Amino acid sequence: MTDLLSSPRPAADGSPPEHRPDWGWLADPADAPDPATLARAREDAERLLADHGVTYGADRPEGAGPWRLDPAPVTVDEAEWSDLDAALVQRAELLDAVLQDVYGARRLLTDSLLPPTSVVAHPGFLRAVDGLRLPGGRELVLTATDLVRDPAGGWRAVADRTQAPSGAGYAMEGRRVVSQVLANVYRQASIQRIGPFFHAMRAALRDVAPAHAEQPRIVLLTSGPASETAFDQAYLASMLGLPLVEGTDLLVRDGRVWLRALDGLEPVDVVLRRVDAEWCDPLDLRTGSRLGVPGLVRSLRAGNVSVVNPLGASVLENPALLAYLPRLARTILDQDLALPSAPTWWCGEPASLSHVLAHLDELVVLPTVRRTAPGLIQGWTLDAAAREQLAARIAAEPWAWAGQEPGHRSDGVGGSQAAMLRTYAVAHRGSYAVMAGGLARVAGSAVVSSSSGAVAKDVWVLSSQTEQAAEDTSLEISAGSRRQGAGISPRTAENLWWMGRYAERAEDRARLLRVVVDRWDDFHARPRSAGGRALSVLIGGLEPDDERTGASLRELTLEARTATSVASALRRLGSSAATVRDQLSSDTFGPLARIERVLRAERGRRRPSPDEALDLGRLDDPRLATAGLRPVLDQVLEALHAVAGIAAEGLVRDVGWRFLDAGRRIERAQHVVEHLQATLVEHRPPAVEGFLVDAVVLSHDSSITFRRRYNSGAGVAAVLDLLLLDRTNPRALAFQLDRLQDDLGTVPGAEHLLSDVADLVAELDPATVAEADGRRDRLGEALESMSWRLRSAADEIQRVHFARPGPSRALEDPWDAADEVDRP
Amino acid sequence: MTRTYDLVHRTTYTYGGPVTDSYGRTTMTPRDLPGQAVLAATVEVDPTPADTSTHIDYYGNRTTYYGVTRAHTRLVVTARSTIEVSRVAASLDSLPAVTWEDTARSVETGDSAAAVSPDVLVALRELVLPSTHAVPGDEVRAWAAPSFTPDRPLGELLVDLAHRIRTELAYRSGSTTVSTTQAQLLAQGAGVCQDFAHLMIAALRAHGLPARYVSGHIETRPPAGREKLRGADASHAWVSAWVPGAGWVDIDPTNDQFVDDRYVVLGWGRDYQDVPPLRGVIFTEGSGSRLSVAVDLVPAGSEPFA
Repeated sequence: MTDLLSSPRPAADGSPPEHRPDWGWLADPADAPDPATLARAREDAERLLADHGVTYGADRPEGAGPWRLDPAPVTVDEAEWSDLDAALVQRAELLDAVLQDVYGARRLLTDSLLPPTSVVAHPGFLRAVDGLRLPGGRELVLTATDLVRDPAGGWRAVADRTQAPSGAGYAMEGRRVVSQVLANVYRQASIQRIGPFFHAMRAALRDVAPAHAEQPRIVLLTSGPASETAFDQAYLASMLGLPLVEGTDLLVRDGRVWLRALDGLEPVDVVLRRVDAEWCDPLDLRTGSRLGVPGLVRSLRAGNVSVVNPLGASVLENPALLAYLPRLARTILDQDLALPSAPTWWCGEPASLSHVLAHLDELVVLPTVRRTAPGLIQGWTLDAAAREQLAARIAAEPWAWAGQEPGHRSDGVGGSQAAMLRTYAVAHRGSYAVMAGGLARVAGSAVVSSSSGAVAKDVWVLSSQTEQAAEDTSLEISAGSRRQGAGISPRTAENLWWMGRYAERAEDRARLLRVVVDRWDDFHARPRSAGGRALSVLIGGLEPDDERTGASLRELTLEARTATSVASALRRLGSSAATVRDQLSSDTFGPLARIERVLRAERGRRRPSPDEALDLGRLDDPRLATAGLRPVLDQVLEALHAVAGIAAEGLVRDVGWRFLDAGRRIERAQHVVEHLQATLVEHRPPAVEGFLVDAVVLSHDSSITFRRRYNSGAGVAAVLDLLLLDRTNPRALAFQLDRLQDDLGTVPGAEHLLSDVADLVAELDPATVAEADGRRDRLGEALESMSWRLRSAADEIQRVHFARPGPSRALEDPWDAADEVDRP
Repeated sequence: MTRTYDLVHRTTYTYGGPVTDSYGRTTMTPRDLPGQAVLAATVEVDPTPADTSTHIDYYGNRTTYYGVTRAHTRLVVTARSTIEVSRVAASLDSLPAVTWEDTARSVETGDSAAAVSPDVLVALRELVLPSTHAVPGDEVRAWAAPSFTPDRPLGELLVDLAHRIRTELAYRSGSTTVSTTQAQLLAQGAGVCQDFAHLMIAALRAHGLPARYVSGHIETRPPAGREKLRGADASHAWVSAWVPGAGWVDIDPTNDQFVDDRYVVLGWGRDYQDVPPLRGVIFTEGSGSRLSVAVDLVPAGSEPFA
C-alpha cells in the first residue's frame, strides 16, 4: 500500500516527490518485514485489540465493532516533524486567541478580519457562556487537527477539532499494539514517545482548576457506553487516572458540581468533557438533554468548576474559519500562518460564493451549520440535477456553507484512497505540547472516517537520538494506581455488582454443563439406569423452572440469544466490564476476548447433529449432543478463573471491589440454594442419589474436600453440611453470607433478610432433614425460604446502594399560559 | 409624562408527584432603559431555593437562576417590581425616511451610511439570521411579499406589517404552543402575541432587516375610556426593528401600535428561546403538572390582582 502520509522522498529532478516505500527508513532494507510477517502482524494486532476490548461505534445497530488497525506505521522524519510541531503550536495559540476574542472583546469580528456572521451563525457559538473564562490564561486547552498531504508533499489542515477531540486513546492503544506485533522493527527504530503528551494533559487539567482547589478533583464526563468512541473515552479516563462519570452521576448544589458517590457528595473541580457542549446543561443549553448536568453553566459562572474544553470551544470547528486564519495570524501573532489549510471559501462572502458555485464539481462542500445539514458533500459525485439543487440551497443561505479543495487522493491500481492524520496539542507551560505522533487513518474511499470503515495506523516520528521507545508502555495504568479513597458513583457500583454476578453466573452455568456433558456419553443411552436417572435430574437443573427455554446443551453453552446460556452470561459480563473499564485492569479483557473466540470457533464448526431441543424423557436419543463442548467449557472456566484472579489479586480493596465481590457472593449463594432445590429435595433410590451427590459436589467445586472429609457413600446430609453450613468452604452458602457481611456491612433492609438466611442455615440439621421418605419437605421449605430471602436481599441492596436520581424533565413551558392549564 | 407601575408576575406549578430537585432560570425583572427606570425588583421562589444567582446575560437582560433541593409538589415563582416609565412611542412622522432596501444593504455591507460601530454590526448581523422560532420559510416570504413594495420607507413597512398581522390573524389564547411554526400559524390563521412577534421578525429577517424579540408586559387595566389591550393578562411579546438613524424601534403587532408608556420591557433576544420568563428542569418520578401564570401591571400603590 502506498503510504500517503509518511515523509515523501524528494525527487532529484524537481518533479513531484514520490511516496517512499513503507520501510525505506530502515538502515538495512533486508530488515523490512516481508508480506508473510506483515500478515501475521495484522492477525496478531487483531487479536491483541480484541484482548483489550478495543471497540468502535457502539451506536451502530449491530453494536460496537472491533477497532481496525493496520500495524504498518506511518513514518515521519524528525526534521519534518519538528516543523510540523512548531506549526501546530502556532495554530493552537492562534485558535486560542480567536476563542478568547469571540467570547470576550470581539475585536476580531469585523468584515476585514473575521466576518461576524461566520461566527454568530455557528451553532457552537454559545451565548450562555459568553464572557466566562478558564483559570490559567488559556481558553483552548485541547485541540486536534486533521491533516492531509498536499500534492507537493507538504501538510495541509482540513479541519480543527476543538469540541471534545477524540482518538488520543486509540492512538495510545495503537502504539502499544504495534510495538508488540512489529517488535522487531520497533526495536530498531528510534521513535519519539507519545506518553509525555498524556502527562502534559494531566498537568493541563490541574492547571485550569479553580483557585480554591488545592488538590483538584477531576472527572471525565463520558457520553456513555452507547457512544461511538466509548472505548476511547474509558481508556483515556484510566490512562489519566480519572473517574469516568455520566451526567447523572453529577449534580449541582450550592453553585458547585458534585459527584454522587456511594457515601455522599464529593466536590468536582474540573470536568474533562466528552459530551458535546450543547448537551452539557439541560437548563442553560439544550432543553431535554439527559447527558448533562442542570446548573453546570451556573457553576461555571461562579468560577466553581472548570470545563475542558470550555463549552464555547466548538465555534472553532467552523470550516469558514480556515479561510481567515492567514490574516488572523498576521494580525494577532504578527506572523505568517505556518501550517496552511486546505483552500477554503466561506460562501457568506459574495466573491467566495461565486467561486464555490462555479466550482461545485471540484470542491468538497461543507455545511458550517451542522445541525440542519448533512455532512460534507463531494461535489464531483453529484449529477447535474443534484448539483443544481445544492447550488440553490447554498444561494438561499450562503453563510451556512463553505467549499474546500479536496485532499490529495491517490487513484492508483487499488482504487481511490485517502489518508488523514489527526494531531493533538494540549496547553502546556504557557504554550502547547504536541503529541509526537497521532492517529492516522486510511480509507479505501475519498472520505476518511472511522464510521465508514477507515483503518487506523500508528504514527512513528523517527528520532535521531537513541531514545528507548519501549518506555511508551510505561503509561500502562493498572487499576491499582487509581486514586485511593476516590468515591464511586452508584452507577459504577451497580455495574461492578452486575459484573460480579454475571462472572459468577457464567461460571456456575459452565460447571453444571460440564458435569452434564461428562455424564452424557455414559448414560444417555441408558435412561433407566441409576446414572441415566441422575443425568435426567441434572439436565432438569440446568435451567430454573421459570426460565426454561428447552434449548440443547450446545445452545446452552454457545448461543448468546438463549437467555440461560453460558454465552449469554458472558456477553452481559463483557458489557458490564466495558462500562467500568476505568475501574479494572486492562488484563481483564484478554480472557474475555479469548472466550469469545473459543465460542465463535465452536459455533462455526458443523457438528453432525442438529441443534434440537433436548427431550428430558428421551435420553436414548443417539445424537452427538455434546461433541466439542467439553473443551469449550474447560476454556471458559479457565478464562473466568483468570478474570476472578485478576480481580482478587489486582484490585485494591476499595468500595468498588466490595461491590464486585458482593455481586459474585449473592449470585453464588442463590445458585447453590437453587441447585440443591432442583436436585436433592426429591428423595430418590440410593443408587441414583449416589450419582447425584457426586455430581452436585463436583459442580460446586467441592469434590476433593468431600472425599477427604466424608466416608465413601456419604449422602445428602454430608452435601448439605459441606455446601450450606461450612463457613470455611468458599463454595458454601454460609461462606457467602460472611463475605456479604464483610463487603457491604449493614445494609438496612437487606441485613435482616441475610441474617434470617444465616439463622435458617444455623438451624438446619442436615442429618434430620436428609432423612425422609418421599420428598424432603423440611429441606425443601428451608431452601425455598432461603431462596426468596436471598432474592429480596439482592433487590434491597440494589435499592439502597444504587439509587439513582429520578428522571429529569423540562418544566412545562409557560408560553401564553394565563389561567390554569393542565398538562399531561 | 412619567407613569409608575407595580408589576407582579407569578407562575405556579402544581405537580402530580413529589419533585426532589428543581432547577430554573427566570427572566422576569424589567430592564433599566431609556424611558424605563426600575425602582425595585425581586424574584421570590417558594419553596426557598438552596441556591440563587443573578447575572446579566449576553443580550443585557437580568436573569436569575434558582435551585430548589427540597422535595415539593408546588412551586411558585413570583417576580415583583416597581417601574417608572416615560417612554414616548415612535411614530411614522418621527422615523427617518430610509427605505427597507437601503437598510438591508447597509447591514450587509456594514458601510458607513448606517454609521454603525463594529460591535453594533455584530448584533445586527446576528439579528438577520434565522433563529429557533423565527425561520423565514417560503410561507413567510409569500405572506410578507405584498408589504415589501420597492423603495418603501422602513417605518411605513413596519406599520403595515403590524396592521396586517392584527387584521389578518385572529388572537386566540391557547391556539399555539412553543413548537408551533410560522407555516402552521399562517395556515390556521390564529395565534398569540409570541407567534405574531415571531412572524413579523421572520418577515423582516427574510429581507435582511434586523429584528429582535422583546418580552414584556402591558398595563393590565386600561385607563378610563381606553380599550383593554390584548395580552395584558399574561406574558406579552413584541418586535424591535432596527431603523438607521433611529436605532431600535419597538412595535407591537398584536395590538397594531408602536410601544408606548403602557409597556414594560423585561428583556430581548433573537426569539422566545433567548428570553422565556421561566424555564426549568425538574427531577421527579411523577408525571403531569398544572401551570398557571398571573400577571398584574397596575399603577403603583394599587391592589394587585384586584
